[in-house]
Amino acid sequence: MVRKQDLRRISPVLWEIPVSFRDDMRVPVRVYADEKLLEAALDDRSIEQAVNASTLPGLVGQVLVMPDVHQGYGFPIGGVAATRLPDGVISPGGIGYDINCGVRLMASSLRAEEAEPHLRDLAQALYANCPSGVGVKGSVPLTLKELDQVCRLGSEWALKNGYAQAEDLPRTEEGGRIQGADPDAVSSRAKERGRPQLGTLGAGNHFIEVDLVEKIYHPEAASVLGLAEGGLALQIHCGSRGFGHQVCSDYVREFQGAVQRYAIRLPDRELVCAPLNSPEGKRYLAAMACAANYAFANRQILAHHARRSFEQVFAGRLKGWPLRQVYDIAHNMGKIEDHAVGGQEMRVCVHRKGATRAFGPGFEGLPPDLRPLGQPVLVPGSMGTASWVLLGTEGSMAQSFGSTCHGAGRVMSRHAAKRAVRGDQLRRDLEARGIHIQAGSLPSLAEEAPQAYKEVDAVVDIVTQAGIAQKVARLKPVVVIKG
Amino acid sequence: MAASGFEEVEHTADWALRAQGASLEELLENAARGMLSLIGAKPGEGEATTWRLEIQGADAESLLVAWLDELLYRMETQRVTFGGMRIHVGPDQRLAAEIEERPLLRVGHPIKAVTYHNLAVEKTREGLTATVVFDV
Repeated sequence: MVRKQDLRRISPVLWEIPVSFRDDMRVPVRVYADEKLLEAALDDRSIEQAVNASTLPGLVGQVLVMPDVHQGYGFPIGGVAATRLPDGVISPGGIGYDINCGVRLMASSLRAEEAEPHLRDLAQALYANCPSGVGVKGSVPLTLKELDQVCRLGSEWALKNGYAQAEDLPRTEEGGRIQGADPDAVSSRAKERGRPQLGTLGAGNHFIEVDLVEKIYHPEAASVLGLAEGGLALQIHCGSRGFGHQVCSDYVREFQGAVQRYAIRLPDRELVCAPLNSPEGKRYLAAMACAANYAFANRQILAHHARRSFEQVFAGRLKGWPLRQVYDIAHNMGKIEDHAVGGQEMRVCVHRKGATRAFGPGFEGLPPDLRPLGQPVLVPGSMGTASWVLLGTEGSMAQSFGSTCHGAGRVMSRHAAKRAVRGDQLRRDLEARGIHIQAGSLPSLAEEAPQAYKEVDAVVDIVTQAGIAQKVARLKPVVVIKG
Repeated sequence: MAASGFEEVEHTADWALRAQGASLEELLENAARGMLSLIGAKPGEGEATTWRLEIQGADAESLLVAWLDELLYRMETQRVTFGGMRIHVGPDQRLAAEIEERPLLRVGHPIKAVTYHNLAVEKTREGLTATVVFDV
């Protein structure tokens, strides 16, 4: 159990657990939080999970914990850990079951106030057109050959098949296609689960949300991103569905044996890993890339359905309805990147589980118009509260392997949320605040109640104060679609 | 522990379930029933059939994860849910089971995956117990 007195305060928003805290730690753990968020994090096992993650072989720098941290399994949600190539390890549980779970933001030139009379119709159109919930009705069913192409091509497959506009791809992390994907590294079981699910939102905390751009903090960046105060935008939050879940399950199981073969001792079996230069590690990276590309294609197809919905509702009634892509980011991913660690450039595998890549200005992977600004970061809040658009900074490159927070972070269990909140009452409360809701299940809606989450504004204040992100815009929901 | 042989354990983001049984077979059955209860799986109309399953785990914990994984996979790909179970675990954690299955009407809340997080099958005075964390 980690106690507050075990942490050393480095700044008002940064704390450290030194390697001396536990014999098996290889690097320190640093936590981005103020006193209130730190105490909330110490209430569950999230910080202890970060200490467990700090025992992985080949770690460099520190294990970083974002202010939206909460208890997960193995790694905490909101954790960042970098292992050196070639002999450091990769841990599938440090990336998560929903590989490349992420967020896409699109913006229109519609004014929210002129769109307001049509928002109920828009909610219904989005719910009808964007398949959500447990089933797969309305998906893009694939043959095995087509699935292999999705694995290799990601968003490029979506573009070839009429689900994307060419301008969408440069506005997607990695252009919507991770290199090194090998469908032969994916089990037939994962393929069987993934084949009928492409283009579906799923359930749980995944959502589609229409937002009002409430406030701009960085006019220059907002202008380049196509965001204007009072405008209407749309977010999609989902991942790689059963395909990614099965890839992770397969490799967590396989790596139970790998840790014995490589004589790796761990405090938790969910942290199982394999050296990046081992056959097992390379195969997982190739399979993970397939799931990541599946997720990029998945969000791209949902974006296509969202565009159709805007057209159905607004075409002929209002101008400026077409949706342009602002950016698309992953927040469950392992990436091979170059970073300066202790003044030395090195190639590392950055595990981000519930954390977002936040590369600063000058990053060559950004399109020319975004390069001087830094990478856009999308931070969805809880249902009914604000979401944020941020930018990566030089500070995130220097401090956190180019990473920042990913959301609000839970403070209440799903069970406790259902005890505290009734789904039908929550829907009435949100609708009284002008938020239109379409949900497949009222109990599931209650699980995602705003009370179950930290305040996203407080989380964003910590990362901006720490210098690992800067604010661009705050969004306020007006329509929420949940599975 | 409830008479059902399983109970939900508080977890901030995901779901955790504690199951017990006088034997490993009973623990596996109770863990399966607990998982189906969390999912809220409701059977639909249609005849019950028998599904025969054989799997092996490296140890009791791996067998427990593999068993629950098999049920999740079958449920999602075949759209079925499960009734009576006859489970036998032989030497080397080799499991053979006959499971009654029916068409699945609906699911209240899907589970993404079964994790190994802090998983240990432990001996108690009553038999065996284990806490399983699910990614939801």
